[in-house]
Order: sequence, then C-alpha cells, then structure tokens
Amino acid sequence: MARVWQLLLFVLIMAVLIGLPPLLGAGLQNAMTNMLIAALFAMAFNLLMGQGGMLSFGHAAFYGVGAFAVMHLMTAIDRGGLSFPTPLLPLAGAAAGLLVGLVTGWFATLRSGVYFALVTLALAEMLHSLAPHWEGLFGGEAGISSMRMPWGGFIFGQVIEIYYLTLIWVTLSIGLLYAYTRTPFGRLTLALRDNEERVRFMGYDAHATKMIVFAVSATFAGIAGGLLAVSNEQANYELFGTHVSAQVVLHTFVGGSTVFFGPAIGAAIFTLFAYLVSDVSRSWLLYQGVIFVLVMLYAPLGIGGVVMLHLRHWASIPWQRMVGPYAGATAATLLMAIGTVMVVEFLEALFSPHYVAQRRQAETSWPAFERFGASWEPFGILTWGPPLLLLIVGLLILLRLRHRIVALWDEVQETAETAARSGA
Amino acid sequence: MREDRVLDLRGIAKSFGSARILEGVELTVRRGERHAIIGPNGAGKSTLFNLISGQFSPTSGSILLNGREIAGRPPHQINRMGLSRSFQITNIYHRLSVFENLRLGVMARHGLRFSLFRRVAALRAVNEESEALLQRIRLEDRRDRPAGDLTYSEQRALEIGMTLATAPEVILLDEPTAGMSQEETHYVIELIREVTKGKTLLVVEHDMNVVFSLCDRISVLVYGELLATGTPEEIRANRAVQEAYLGEEVA
Amino acid sequence: MLEFIIISTLNGVTYGLLLFMVSAGLTLIFGMMGVLNFAHASFYMLGAYIAYSITRTIDFWIGLLVAPLLVGLLGMLVERYLLRRVHRYGHAHELLLTFGLAFIFEELIKLFYGDFPVNYSMPAYLRFPAFSLFGADYPFYRLFIGLVAIGMFVLLYILLSRTRVGLVVRAAERLPSMAEALGHNVPLVFMGVFGVGAALAGLGGAVAGAFFPTNPNMALELGVIVFVVVVVGGLGSIEGSLVASLMIGVFSSFAVGLNWSLARLLDLVGLGDWARELGGLMTLTLSSISGTVPFLLMLIVLLVRPAGLFGERN
Repeated sequence: MARVWQLLLFVLIMAVLIGLPPLLGAGLQNAMTNMLIAALFAMAFNLLMGQGGMLSFGHAAFYGVGAFAVMHLMTAIDRGGLSFPTPLLPLAGAAAGLLVGLVTGWFATLRSGVYFALVTLALAEMLHSLAPHWEGLFGGEAGISSMRMPWGGFIFGQVIEIYYLTLIWVTLSIGLLYAYTRTPFGRLTLALRDNEERVRFMGYDAHATKMIVFAVSATFAGIAGGLLAVSNEQANYELFGTHVSAQVVLHTFVGGSTVFFGPAIGAAIFTLFAYLVSDVSRSWLLYQGVIFVLVMLYAPLGIGGVVMLHLRHWASIPWQRMVGPYAGATAATLLMAIGTVMVVEFLEALFSPHYVAQRRQAETSWPAFERFGASWEPFGILTWGPPLLLLIVGLLILLRLRHRIVALWDEVQETAETAARSGA
Repeated sequence: MREDRVLDLRGIAKSFGSARILEGVELTVRRGERHAIIGPNGAGKSTLFNLISGQFSPTSGSILLNGREIAGRPPHQINRMGLSRSFQITNIYHRLSVFENLRLGVMARHGLRFSLFRRVAALRAVNEESEALLQRIRLEDRRDRPAGDLTYSEQRALEIGMTLATAPEVILLDEPTAGMSQEETHYVIELIREVTKGKTLLVVEHDMNVVFSLCDRISVLVYGELLATGTPEEIRANRAVQEAYLGEEVA
Repeated sequence: MLEFIIISTLNGVTYGLLLFMVSAGLTLIFGMMGVLNFAHASFYMLGAYIAYSITRTIDFWIGLLVAPLLVGLLGMLVERYLLRRVHRYGHAHELLLTFGLAFIFEELIKLFYGDFPVNYSMPAYLRFPAFSLFGADYPFYRLFIGLVAIGMFVLLYILLSRTRVGLVVRAAERLPSMAEALGHNVPLVFMGVFGVGAALAGLGGAVAGAFFPTNPNMALELGVIVFVVVVVGGLGSIEGSLVASLMIGVFSSFAVGLNWSLARLLDLVGLGDWARELGGLMTLTLSSISGTVPFLLMLIVLLVRPAGLFGERN
C-alpha cells in the first residue's frame, strides 16, 4: 500500500515538473531550474552529512569546481571547434568534483567532528580567496563566461530547453543517489555514521570508506555546479563563497537530513520562496535564518523528519483529537508569521535609505511610509498594534496548544512502545 | 605443536606516557580452547584486548596470529586475518535494524567492502547467512527493529552476533555478561557456548562462576603482569593467585 | 626597507591583538563547552554597531563601555535560552544553531543599518599621531586598540588564575560533572563564560569598528580569520590563541606589502623564467594570496597537529 502511494506521489511530482514549466514565464522557468540545481546540491551534501555523518562547511568548493570545469569545457568547444555534445557538459563537473573530492577527501576524512567541519571550511575558503587572483584558472575577479553551442538540433538558447536538460540530469542524479542507498556500500555508509569504530573492527578500512563517500558526494555537487554553469553560461569566484556553503546547510537541515528526500524539499521550498518574495521583500534572508533557527530549536529533524514521524505512527495517532490542536497551531503559526513579517517590513521601510531621504525633505519630522500598498504612520497605533496583537495572540494559542499536542504524542509513543514489546 | 598455537603474545608491554599498563606479558592461546583472562580492576585486561585487536599498538613485544605478526596493524586488517572482538560497552549501529547490524559483518567477510554497483537485496548468500546468524543469536522477532530499541541483554546478544558475523577463527569477548542479572547471564553464557563451538575463544570476565564453568584455561593478570596460566583446577590451587586476587572471593 | 619592517610589525601586532580580543572568547567557550560558536564574530560586529549608535546619539566613551555590556548580556541570553535547549541533540546541533544565529544577526544589521559601511569613527581628539617615523605619522588609535587588548588580557588572566571564580571556571572546563558534584553551579558558569566571551568580542568590535570599516560583512570576514587563529593556537588554549593572533596579524601586514612569488623564489636557482612561462600558481604574488595563506596554515595544522600549537587535547 505504501509503495503505491509512493509511486503515485512520484508520478505526480514528475508530472508537475514536466508539465508545468511551459505554462510559466521565463523568470519562473529559470527559478525552477535553480530550484532543481539547489535540490541536487543539497542531496549531494546530505549523502555526506545525513548518511555518512560528516558535516561539511565547505561544500561550495565542489560546487564551484564543477561549475568552472564546465566553463572551461564550454570555452574549449566555443573557441576551438572541440566537438562535444552540449547536453553532456555537466560530465566535466562530475569529473572535476570526483577528482578534487578524492584528493581533498583523503585529507579531510583524516579528521572527524568539528575538526572535519573546519578542514572543509578551510578548503573552501582557500579556493574562495585564491580564485580572484588566479587569472588563468578562475578568470580573476570577473570569472569566466562563454556560450552554449547548439547540438543535435537543439539550440539551447531558451530557458525552457535548459530547464528540461537540468530536469533530466537532476532526476538521473537523484535516481543514482537513491540507488546508492541500496548498495552494500550505501549500507556501509549508514553504519559509518552510526559507529565508525565498529566499522573498523568489522574489517572495513574506515578512512578509505569515508574518502569514497566524500568523493561521491563531491561528484554530485560537481554535477550541480556544472548544471548551474550550463544555465548561467558563466562562473566566478563567488561560487566558492561562504554563503554558498551556508545555503546548502540551511536547505538540508530545514528539509530534514535524516530523510532521503528531505534536503530536496528544503532546497525547493527555499529557492522558490526566495524567487517569489524577492520582488516584494528585501528581508528574505532574515526570514530564512529565523526559519532555520526555529527548526533547529523545535523540529530538529526538519520538515522531512516531521512528516516521516507522522507517517510512521499514522495508524496510532488519535487523529480525531489531534486535528483540532493541529489546526489551531497552524493558524497560530500563521498569525505569528504575519505579525513578524509586518514588523520586519515596517522596520525595513523605516530604516531604508529611501525613507531617511524622505524624512530629510518632509516638513513634518516623521512622514508616513508606504508598505503593502498602504500608507502607515511611523508611530501610529494602527501601524504597530495589529502586528503586535497578532504576535501575542498567536504566541498564547501556541503555548496553550503545545501541551495538548505533546501529551497526545506521548500517548502515541506509548502505544508504539507497547506494540514493540509485545513483538508486533 | 606449533599449529596448536593460534595466538601467541611475546613480551608484550604497553605504556601510556609514564604509566606502565602492561609489562612482559607472555600468553599462548591454543586452537579451539576457551581461554579466560581474569584479574582485578585496572590490571590491564582491556588494554590487552585493545592491543590484540589493533586498537592500540604495543610499546614493545610481538603478537602472532597463526604465526603472522599482527602487533601494530590496524583493526580492519586484523579482523580480516580472522580475529574479531566484542566490546565491554555495547558498540552497535543504533539506528540500523538488527538484521543490518549483522549483515554488515557478513558483507565484510564476503569482501563487499567497496561495492557500489550491486544491489544489497540481491546478495543471496550474504542475506541467507545473516538470517541464519540472526536465528543463532535468537533475535528473529527483532529483525527489523532499530538496534538502539533493544533491551540491554538483547543488545549484548547482538554484540556477540556482530562479533561472529565476520566468521572469525579467534573470538575476543570483553565482559560479555557485564551488568546482567543472573538469569540473563545464564542465557548469554549458553549462547556463547553454543555459537563458539569449534572456534577459539578469549574472554575477559569478572563473574568467577562463569569463568570456571565456561573456560578450559585461565590466565590471571595482576598489575599489568601475567601471574599464572592454567586449567581452572590449577588456578584454584595456585597460591600466588589466591593471595593476589582470588583470596577474597573464593577462600 | 627598515621603515616597512617597523611599520608592518607595529600594524601586525595591533591587528593581532585585536584578533586576540575576539578569539579569546571563542577558544574559551570551545574549551569549556565544546561548542564551536559560529556566531562569535557576530558579537564583534554587534559591538561595533551598538557603539556606533551610542556614539552618534550620546558619546564615544559611553559606547565603548555600554556596547560590550549589551553584547555580553545578549550572549548570556543566547546561551541560556537557545544553546541550552539544543544541548541534548549534540555538538553538531549546537554548532548549526549558532550558525543560524550568525545568519540572523547579519541580516538584522542589514535591516537596521543598510548594506553599506556606516560612518563610525573615533572622536577628533583621539585622531592624532603617536609618533613620527621616517617622515610618516603613526596613528595613536592603532596603539590604543592594542592597549585595550593588552589590558583586557591582563584582566582576564588575573581573573582566571587568581580568583575563586577563575578556579571554578577552570574546574568546570576540565571536569564539568565533578565541578557540579562539588556544588558549583556549572550551568551558571557556562552562561557567564559565554557572556564574557561575547562581551570581549563586543569590546573588540566597539574599539576596532571606529578605525576599520564597520559594515555587515565584518563578522564574516573576521570570523573566518578568527577560526584560523583558534585552530592554529589550539582549540581551547588562551595562550595559543594569543600567539596565533600575533602570528597571523604580523603575517597579514607583511604579506600585503610583499610581491614575492614562487617564480621569484625559483630565480635563485635560475628557474625563474621557466616558472613565469608556466604562470598560474607560479606567478601569484604573496600580496595577492595573503588572504589564502592563513587558511593553508589552518589546514596544515588541522592535518598535522589538530591540537594546535598549544592545545593539549585532540
């Protein structure tokens, strides 16, 4: 039964991913391309983090290396009549990711825990600080740009063509990553995360194993970077930046690192939202940070983890009693979200250079400002009252409902435990 | 006579900094025997196990497994040469299923160490062997539970199963009954007796009843030195042992 | 050449002392709690911005005094209400939380102060040359930054080695459960140390922000260098981070003025032209890779001696 549902969900998602983009504008098509790339990057990262138990703070290194490799290949094709099928360009990213991943992985996996994270951080920062000065390899500060060549009847001039090319690559890559979990080595990767010492005492070379996990992860990160290069037709040193490494961490943990598709969910949500709200708000990154910290505090397993928890206990959840509190909590969260957004946007408006200039010109010292298509008084009760009220009411509801939900879940856990004890 | 010696420790010494843990340990384990190492806390028993299994290298001395030097080799190589150990503090894969915990060992023995292009579900021999092992440690009805969810004595049984999974010739068990009730101890000892048939067993154990009923020979380690080795009767009768160690408990 | 050496040394030492002000707290917190605090450099940035706001509205010296206190308080709140919550999920989770906080702090600063540097500077009467060297004036304020750092280090040292509080802190660092069993309130000590570490970083920001640019990137830029410092010095070692701070500081100030390259090095054995033909890494000058070398150093330390120069533990 579960398999049928999974298949259905898969078909549905693929149908949307295939059928929807032609109906959208180029902007959204491009956003969806970026979404797919971010999803693959997060999945590659999570092979290392979620399955191998190694937290990397420098995955931008492999993403960037993949992108630059593709740019060099693209340039060679463009300039020198090298004939290479354009759709296979990301292979250069994979090869570069694998190569650099093997070498750096050998070093990085000598260490574990915080020290591993610091090694990866140092690697990426080295590239980030070196690239702008290395004209030949990274094109200096400006980076490298080139052109995609037509191939096999495709021009690759339109966004939609690139979207479908990306879709094929991402689907294939995620399929391979899924297959990986079903191999003996995939199982060994999980064991490594749980207990590296025991792995060694079972006859496995833990260091070599970790190095290969690292290299596979870097390979797929390289493909993701390569796809970005194919899409943008350029790459520069900022691909190695701390922000790139940070984004993939955020995506993965919000989506849920313990669930296979979790990182893809996180990446999809964040990149799509970023595109959708970027015109409306400048504070998207702030919201993203807040969401991440809230997830870390209250749902450490991420969105995917929460979903899995519900699926696992589906039968024993007292839904009739649960629906009420859940609906209430959702509504309260929404109230608080609206309140927060209003406060942040008002502050943003008040502290913007635009408003400061307005203040200088206006006769009254604090002129009204524009937000959400309306005009607001900087010190008006109608400005600050509603969002504060929303925040307080939402918080009170959440605090009340929290105990009810926790109590109900305790019941669920108890049923699960008794079921386990009786050997079911 | 040579073939009789599976494990041979010669002049083993180990120091951490200025602290000497082991000094001049000479020990021979014969093929097929069940050999116990006893001694008071801090005598160096666990260190000895760590040296044999490759966790640390000895400061001096040599360890021969079937005549081949293993001192200083990494644990995974020693394991592949046919020596497998269990841990005093349960050392399992908590989030993986009981079956998976065992299968990982079986996979290693089949040389599937870097197998990226085969489906694990299609490995018939590996899966059958793992199922059989699961039955031998009597955890069939826990097959798909995460190992972390098992009771303590079930985890101890799994620990032994994982040690056996690589089909070792020599088995090192580090306090297999630590922290168990009498009933559980009895159960685990029967299990050990059964699953180590035909293998060589070296065990560290505190429970003297267990030691004397289970083992063919006993070595006594006191303050990092080997005091005596012999059959249970010989050890019981040994005056030095009685004075140094057994006196308080057996007399 | 002599001028270059003296000026670079002075600049390097003062910059190193500033680095130390920020890294001291980070390494202390790591040593005690095992938490690698990604938000630590954010405290430095917050110190600068708060001091800037106070300077603009009230007075520079009050800013210098109040900013560290406010930042320290914030640090204590972060430890008490956020970090402690996720403690049970393990160190990786704590690290991720501080990472998220660093993200939020940066965006909040951008929200209130905009994306561009703010005009935070020292009062006019502090803007005088300390002395003249080779016809160039050396700003007094650079020395002032160094003096504040030294004063702080002396104070911290006395506090840790001579007082009862210091004794408890050191006990809690070595054996938290033992210190707790002896009746000391270890969670309170942790909170206090976190607060003091944050306040130090805040002080660093308040002092240095008036000389170096105060912008939303300053946390990230300094943050990665501070990581280098604590790793090279040995995570958890205060003395180590002092030495490493000075090392990195002096190196950075020398490197920007030197156009050495591998090719020039090979000139010595007559291979310079060959190297220049190769290009790439060979012709990169030291000044252009001065930002890269610290990370290379950090990498080498992590791989060869992860305990750092002065660390005892791995």
